[in-house]
Amino acid sequence: MSSAPAAVPAGRSKRAPRPPAMAIARRAVNRLTLPVLLLLPSLIIIAGLVGYPLVRTIYLSFTDTGLGDLIYGTSEWVGLENFKEVFTDEHLRTSLVNTVVFGTACVIGTMIFGFAVALLLNQRLKGNLLFGIAVLLPWAVPALAASAIWKWLFDARYGFVNWAMVNLGFDGFQDYAWFADRESAYVAIFITVVWQSFPFVALSLLAGLQTIPKETLQAAAVDGANAFQRFRLVTLPLLRPIVAVLVIFSTIWDFKIFDQIYVMAAGVPDRSADTAAVAAYREGFALSHYGLGSAVAVVLFLILLAFALIYVRLVGKEGEFS
Amino acid sequence: MKWLLKRGWMYAAMLAVSAFALFPIYWVVITSLKPRSEIYTRTPDLWPSDPQWDQYPRVLGEGHVGRALLNSLIVASGTMVICLLVSAGAAYVLARYRVRITRILLILVLMTQMFPLVVLVIPLFVTMRKAGLLGTYWSLIITYLAFSVPLAIWVMRGFVLSIPDELEHAARIDGATRIGAMWRVVLPLAAPGLAVTAVLSFLEGWKEFLLALTFINDEDRKTVPLVLQSFVGRGDTDWGAVMATSVLYTLPVAVVFVLARKHLMTARTAGAVKG
Repeated sequence: MSSAPAAVPAGRSKRAPRPPAMAIARRAVNRLTLPVLLLLPSLIIIAGLVGYPLVRTIYLSFTDTGLGDLIYGTSEWVGLENFKEVFTDEHLRTSLVNTVVFGTACVIGTMIFGFAVALLLNQRLKGNLLFGIAVLLPWAVPALAASAIWKWLFDARYGFVNWAMVNLGFDGFQDYAWFADRESAYVAIFITVVWQSFPFVALSLLAGLQTIPKETLQAAAVDGANAFQRFRLVTLPLLRPIVAVLVIFSTIWDFKIFDQIYVMAAGVPDRSADTAAVAAYREGFALSHYGLGSAVAVVLFLILLAFALIYVRLVGKEGEFS
Repeated sequence: MKWLLKRGWMYAAMLAVSAFALFPIYWVVITSLKPRSEIYTRTPDLWPSDPQWDQYPRVLGEGHVGRALLNSLIVASGTMVICLLVSAGAAYVLARYRVRITRILLILVLMTQMFPLVVLVIPLFVTMRKAGLLGTYWSLIITYLAFSVPLAIWVMRGFVLSIPDELEHAARIDGATRIGAMWRVVLPLAAPGLAVTAVLSFLEGWKEFLLALTFINDEDRKTVPLVLQSFVGRGDTDWGAVMATSVLYTLPVAVVFVLARKHLMTARTAGAVKG
């Protein structure tokens, strides 16, 4: 702690007594040096790699930046033109609708399935440890590997899913091309996303379930509540904070989904299954419409920002910041 | 009888969920062990009749997968080391100094974790191009800090909070400086937290796809997700190679997850972890 305050000239220290204001200021500097030094690298990184690019993208979204402009900074201000186009262009508007509809479906599917699995894990059946590991594993599979795996399972000619469906008596699935239209492609991607996301939800809810005192549930049972009533009137209200946080998390993750869509929906005709993140990326890097791509990204960002703010409020209520 | 009926139903559900969770993983592994003729068939075997390992040396040699694994390892390790060095101090300050400004910073850190990368990628691309770093490991390591540092700060702060203030006070009364107390008291106690954070920030780098897709063109610098994407994106996908690559790519992560599952859940309650 001898670094900064030592800069006071040596000659001055002999002059006594020092004015108290100086001493207080010196002590403040002294006390603040360490925390500021420790925070600085992180703040520089966040400001430079998140703050600056964010501001820059918002600026770009008001310009007609193309490929050359991007490098040499020669673009024109076009006001809200890009945003008008985002909401009038068929493809871009569809991508936003896709994001909201498909994202919401994934959140609902993940939450319901994850909750069911959490309740099952909480029964502590025989083999629960192995069951827990089985549930954990899909979470460990990176998004790109999961996309490749499920694309293979849903392969039209040699895929396991079609083979199983035909063997179960659904002959319509012979050579069924899952990625030939938006709806069936979304069924396949939905299953992929739920498969990857339910472990996190299930294990988080399990942790929550284990904090509920047994006595509370027993008391409810003594009072004559059946299993469903116990769940609805005791378990669910006690888990509400966790459920709220998980819904927000899932919404943010599933709305900004990129990897799975980029890989699995690439062959869907007219790119009609693109979500906003993929559409923004392609508009920029495939078509060199950097201004327009930025506008799509900014719209997505604003939607997610709303959810992020709700999340911050929820966490704040739990006293995380105090 | 009633008990059996109720429990039996639960065991059936447990088996069904396990099958849903594990079957795709099983299917990848056995597909990677099948010869070509057994992969491209309309009547797939649920069990490889004659498991063959030659898919693995093949992808590691020809398919750039070995090189890609090395690239991913370099990028993820670099991200992990720098991320830990940078964020440990910030996590400490945000846990120990509870004033208005640190609260605001904490909220900022939390929110940056939620931004979609696509909103940052164009300016990051321009910056990397101007810095002449496009196509290098550094372009990935540096930009991966954008999301790994906030995550690491948030997770590590949770661990620092769990170390009682009193221990540090005691050390300081005994004459240790604040840095001395941090080094000798907080750091050893925070070691498990550091380990978990190290794993998490490594995985961030291991899994990232969007920025790698944007910055890396050179075949020799491609990370594993890029190689997988280029395999799957082709018309005549070599599924045996894709599956062997997926196994090699996932195996280290799966091992870490199973070994560290308790700690992962602790970290989850402290911050956000997403696969």
